[in-house]
Amino acid sequence: MQEDDEVTKMDQIEKLVQRPKLYNNIDGVGELGLGIMFLGSALLQWLPIQAFWWHRYGSSVGFLLLIAVIHYGMKAIKEYITYPRTGFVEYPKRDAVWRPMILGAGVSVLVGIVLVLAARTQSVFGGSHWGLTTPVALAGLVIANGYAYGIASSVLWKWGVPVAMAICSIAIVMLPESAIRAMSGNTSAAVMAHEWIFGALQLTFALYGAILLISGGISFVHYLRHTQPAAETAE
Amino acid sequence: MNRMTQKISELDRVIHEPGRLMLVALLSAVEQADFLYLQHETEMNKGTLSSHLSKLEEAGYVEVTKTYRGKIPQTLLCLTAEGRQAFQQYRRRLKEAL
Repeated sequence: MQEDDEVTKMDQIEKLVQRPKLYNNIDGVGELGLGIMFLGSALLQWLPIQAFWWHRYGSSVGFLLLIAVIHYGMKAIKEYITYPRTGFVEYPKRDAVWRPMILGAGVSVLVGIVLVLAARTQSVFGGSHWGLTTPVALAGLVIANGYAYGIASSVLWKWGVPVAMAICSIAIVMLPESAIRAMSGNTSAAVMAHEWIFGALQLTFALYGAILLISGGISFVHYLRHTQPAAETAE
Repeated sequence: MNRMTQKISELDRVIHEPGRLMLVALLSAVEQADFLYLQHETEMNKGTLSSHLSKLEEAGYVEVTKTYRGKIPQTLLCLTAEGRQAFQQYRRRLKEAL
């Protein structure tokens, strides 16, 4: 009997140690930031191709603005909404900065290598976009898997997010060539390897961004409805 | 007394109490957190939470800093080096006991 109690206690400790990490996205702000990043990136890469009036340096300035808006926007929401309602937490630098940066850089390099290799071996697939959009879809599945591990494992309905991401990635591979071509900005018959990849990436970014915005938005509204600022709940 | 009972009897009594164990486990995963966060996560009332934190502070496991966030008073809490060591030792001993 005592042994059962202690086993339960050990399980509870392990769960408790993980809780502060999950608290980081209790308000859905992490997902909102990521969603805006994906959608903004897709838009800023699409504009130079599709909009004749877009200045050539516009995307560089746009990326800087996008990063600033996400960084300060998330900070402001935490400061004025989350901390007064459910409390302030400061994470160790290794968890909040270094680990995500190293992980992000590692995944980006790996995806880059896979895409370059795919572009070089495109002739193997007889010029079809499948050989290039499949690696993009696989890279998307890596992101979906990371999301499932980091966020969906704590909230049941969030499992719908990586599933939706996976469906989108498969759908992109299944799309007709004309759709990918339209996204890449080249509607002529001869499409370069990097344009197939670009078109598929654009679609992935746009769809993932939309999914994350919806999921983050639902979490944010749910959070606002179920919490109140501490000053209002006191006495 | 069997081996397991003996091991459990050797556990740190300050940390072993369920309420305080919850607090130490939460604080072990962060640099620092405020009183409101601990109250939200543990669902303890202010009095119980204060009492547990005082015991942990007396044992030298938790450091309490009173400050302000804008005009609102804020109590920040973090585990001391001694507190982290005691918690690691507690987890190790509990695992050994099982």
